[in-house]
Amino acid sequence: MPMVLLKCDKDIPEREKHIYLKAPNEDTREFLPIANAATIPGTLSERGCAFCGAKLVIGGVLKDTIQMIHGPLGCAYDTWHTKRYPTDNDHFNMKYVWSTDMKESHIVFGGEKRLEQSIHEAFDEMPGIKRMIVYTTCPTALIGDDIRAVVRKVMNERPDVDIFTVECPGFAGVSQSKGHHVLNIGWINDKVATMEKEITSEYTMNFIGDFNIQGDTQLLQTYWDRLGIQVIAHFTGNGTYDDLRCMQQAQLNVVNCARSSGYIANELKKRYGIPRLDIDSWGFNYMAEGIRKICAFFGIEEKGEALIAEEYARWKPKLDWYKARLKGKKMAIWTGGPRLWHWTKSVEDDLGVQVVAMSSKFGHEEDFEKVIARGQEGTYYIDDGNELEFFEILELVKPDVIFTGPRVGELIKKLHIPYVNGHAYHNGPYMGFEGFVNLARDMYNAVHNPIRHLAAIDIRDENPAELPEKIREAA
Amino acid sequence: MMEDKLDDLYGYVQERCLWQFFSRSWDRQENIDGVLGQAEAILSGNPPARGTPMEKLFYVDARTMVDDFRARFPWIRESSPEEVKQLMDGLKSRLVETVITKSTNRELKHHLY
Repeated sequence: MPMVLLKCDKDIPEREKHIYLKAPNEDTREFLPIANAATIPGTLSERGCAFCGAKLVIGGVLKDTIQMIHGPLGCAYDTWHTKRYPTDNDHFNMKYVWSTDMKESHIVFGGEKRLEQSIHEAFDEMPGIKRMIVYTTCPTALIGDDIRAVVRKVMNERPDVDIFTVECPGFAGVSQSKGHHVLNIGWINDKVATMEKEITSEYTMNFIGDFNIQGDTQLLQTYWDRLGIQVIAHFTGNGTYDDLRCMQQAQLNVVNCARSSGYIANELKKRYGIPRLDIDSWGFNYMAEGIRKICAFFGIEEKGEALIAEEYARWKPKLDWYKARLKGKKMAIWTGGPRLWHWTKSVEDDLGVQVVAMSSKFGHEEDFEKVIARGQEGTYYIDDGNELEFFEILELVKPDVIFTGPRVGELIKKLHIPYVNGHAYHNGPYMGFEGFVNLARDMYNAVHNPIRHLAAIDIRDENPAELPEKIREAA
Repeated sequence: MMEDKLDDLYGYVQERCLWQFFSRSWDRQENIDGVLGQAEAILSGNPPARGTPMEKLFYVDARTMVDDFRARFPWIRESSPEEVKQLMDGLKSRLVETVITKSTNRELKHHLY
């Protein structure tokens, strides 16, 4: 089957290169959607901006760092609190938002003084916080504010603080993916190996590309604690600024999200000789495999097997309860990129769920190589899907549940199709063994909840001719 | 017969193994050579090298893969070292073609990460 031109795309035929329907005996040598390319004018893209990729996804997760956004208020507000990544220090990162609040006069006369004043104000207001990331945004990049010069001046005046700069305005790339890239490369260039921490175990690793969504990092940390592995740095779930300056000390880089964070793992391998081990942290089978590999690297296989056995004994019966009730259900995944290939086989193997359509906002062609290799035949693989395409695909595949974000989620609710928050989760964490039971529970609740069928009833009609069984259940 | 066996192994690797899909062509080549080299040693009954961090990394990926090969494809337990070498060479050739030489991924040869 060649690439697909949907009916709704008849006026933007370029979209055909971004949508693939997998057929038997095909592989990515023949058909690979174009990805990480500029959004085609005329589509209703669901993408975010490059600045958002740096701040919302990676930098803003840190639990001890002021996120100073040099731009108008909206850039700060709209990248704050839309992802749930708690921390074990009372959620410092979720409670506060900082902005230089640029107005017209600052754009006309320059915003560097405004930035300098804002940095000082923030540190003065929060004397316990000594770390900051300063981000440029579209307007401050366009007027040429030299944020590095300002930061150097402040750091000279305040020797107890350390500040990292991210020069990645929203227009810098085709999607949020560019922001991931800029922050990764900037951090390794500017901050890695500027500090050393105490080594407390003979086994050390960095855990890269996990952002503690609803506690993912904290759940996985219980495994590493039980295995006696010291995590030098979490990039960046529940992480600290200074731990990330010590990444060069780890013996192994374990990578979950290769899209947002593969860059720093590659550079750590190139510059410091630290091997990169990619794993999947969602799903029983995958999680067990990841733990086995990490333990084999350190020569502690028996500890790993004991942990897996304990976790399976505790959680597998619960997973199987949901599996019996989810088997054969059809699922669509409309998220950022990597969750397509992390999830497609794990829900199939662990829950018996069939993934029938997947769309990626910011995945690269590498992500499509992975997901097409793992995904099923008869499934749609879409790059940068737009709203009309979603509607058409829904008609074609008729999923029972969609894992996506609240924006698309609210849209499909109106079609009476349940959605589960695939970005920030409904009731996570979703990683690890316990986490995948949570995912299964949320999927079960979504698929089998009869209440949503009530939305299809016209309550003005006193005598509806016939109530479908589901609606009677709900009523 | 050999082609059928290669189909089995290739299908497994494509579906399960993230190391074949690293960011750049040289990373992919390094991983394919490294993991399949270690797998050949394990399947042939030779001790795999584990002296350097990269050798240890290739060992853990190879060991997982070989365990799954043995579980899913019992015929591989009976394969002689010569046949194992043939299989690993054939698998390497197919993987290199799919994920490197005939891959249309436009980022594979970018000189920077």
